[in-house]
Amino acid sequence: MKPSLLETLLDPSQLSVCFQPIFHIHSRANQVYSLEALIRGPRGTNLHRADVLFDYVRRKKAEAAVDQSCFAAICHAATGLPSNLRINVNVHASTLGHGSGFVSYLRSQAKKHSLGLERLTVEIVEHSPTLNVLELLHSLASLREDGVRIALDDVGLGQSNYRMIVDCNPEYFKLDSYFVHGLRADSNRRAVVKSLIALAGAMGSSVVAEGVESKEDLSELVSMGVDLVQANLLCPAKPLEDLSAAGLLGAATTKPLSGVDQALNSWKEGAKSLPQQQGSTDVCRPTSSP
Amino acid sequence: MRRLPGCDSECVCYQSVLRHQPWHRACTHQVMTHRILIVDDDEQLARSYKEYFTTLGYEVDCALELEEAQALLGHFSYSVVITDLRLSRLGFGGLDLVKHIRELSLQTHVLVLTGYFWPELKSEAMSHRVDAFVRKPTRMAELAQTVSSLTGGAA
Repeated sequence: MKPSLLETLLDPSQLSVCFQPIFHIHSRANQVYSLEALIRGPRGTNLHRADVLFDYVRRKKAEAAVDQSCFAAICHAATGLPSNLRINVNVHASTLGHGSGFVSYLRSQAKKHSLGLERLTVEIVEHSPTLNVLELLHSLASLREDGVRIALDDVGLGQSNYRMIVDCNPEYFKLDSYFVHGLRADSNRRAVVKSLIALAGAMGSSVVAEGVESKEDLSELVSMGVDLVQANLLCPAKPLEDLSAAGLLGAATTKPLSGVDQALNSWKEGAKSLPQQQGSTDVCRPTSSP
Repeated sequence: MRRLPGCDSECVCYQSVLRHQPWHRACTHQVMTHRILIVDDDEQLARSYKEYFTTLGYEVDCALELEEAQALLGHFSYSVVITDLRLSRLGFGGLDLVKHIRELSLQTHVLVLTGYFWPELKSEAMSHRVDAFVRKPTRMAELAQTVSSLTGGAA
């Protein structure tokens, strides 16, 4: 009997993994700081698109089971990565708030694939307003004891609100593209981003800007003190072999970014005399319990 | 290939051209390819509908489950949704889909396919503003004619 669509998703070999670099803009020539693992569903199905895939999974209320399957697929794909690279993985808050099952699974899969837990950043994604916060915090504490860092995805949208910031105390605030797109031309967006940068700095966290689509917005973000950037403008999500062929996974993990470099360099020249933004480069703060 | 209905100009509008160039520049009509969603838990049947409507020039997606259809509706815009009333052995998920579409106020025509014609079922479906009912089994041409009338005559 042919497996159902959901059963297919629970087989990690049916999932494919792309990686999108997060660049550290201020360091040596746009260093690849980390790679976010992005899941694609089975080829030839509607679920190959990630947005449709996870919409379907949430409607099926199968986040916990599919998050495990995704992590297994990521561990398998990540075996080809240089061991100095960090890896970001997306996990639903509801999965982490569903007991210790996911954390145990994460440990066993990482061990099986010889993947150091200290290389991992768990990005918390959430779409459900109902959540067992105590279980979530317990899971986060367990992850931090293992050296895993925590990022809060889509900060400012949906359930990734101030309460989640306070409760999760993330090492990274991932600014959603909604606030980043058109930043240069929109004083309201600039004000929101500025406040989130200040908040992250006050909490000893770092900011990652997602969805930068123009050199102008990128330059604006850099001038505001954001130094971790993930954007199609710099490098879209690609299979591991494509990133490797593009020279992004070498020993130095640096890559000249044509066009963008020019914009950044011109900003850097003019900004040498500016004071350093507070908290903008604190990406290695000591782990702490929430 | 066929000339599109409603185009009075001297140019010839071909489906194959329009598929690559949705905004027709040679005449004043703005013609877009309609996208339709076919929802049926019978995969073979859904695929045959897809093949047929694709040859008529429609863009077609298929979903085998209610949740898959709902996920697609959240990310794509459809001119017509064709749904079987019974999407599983357990119940009438097609009705839930119709309710979902109406709750979201989507500008989508809904065509219900069903082998069950209980008056209560039909009246409940009609209360959710189903645009057309087609009794199963049906001929493809009949189904296509109904879809064409819903989309104003163009693929």
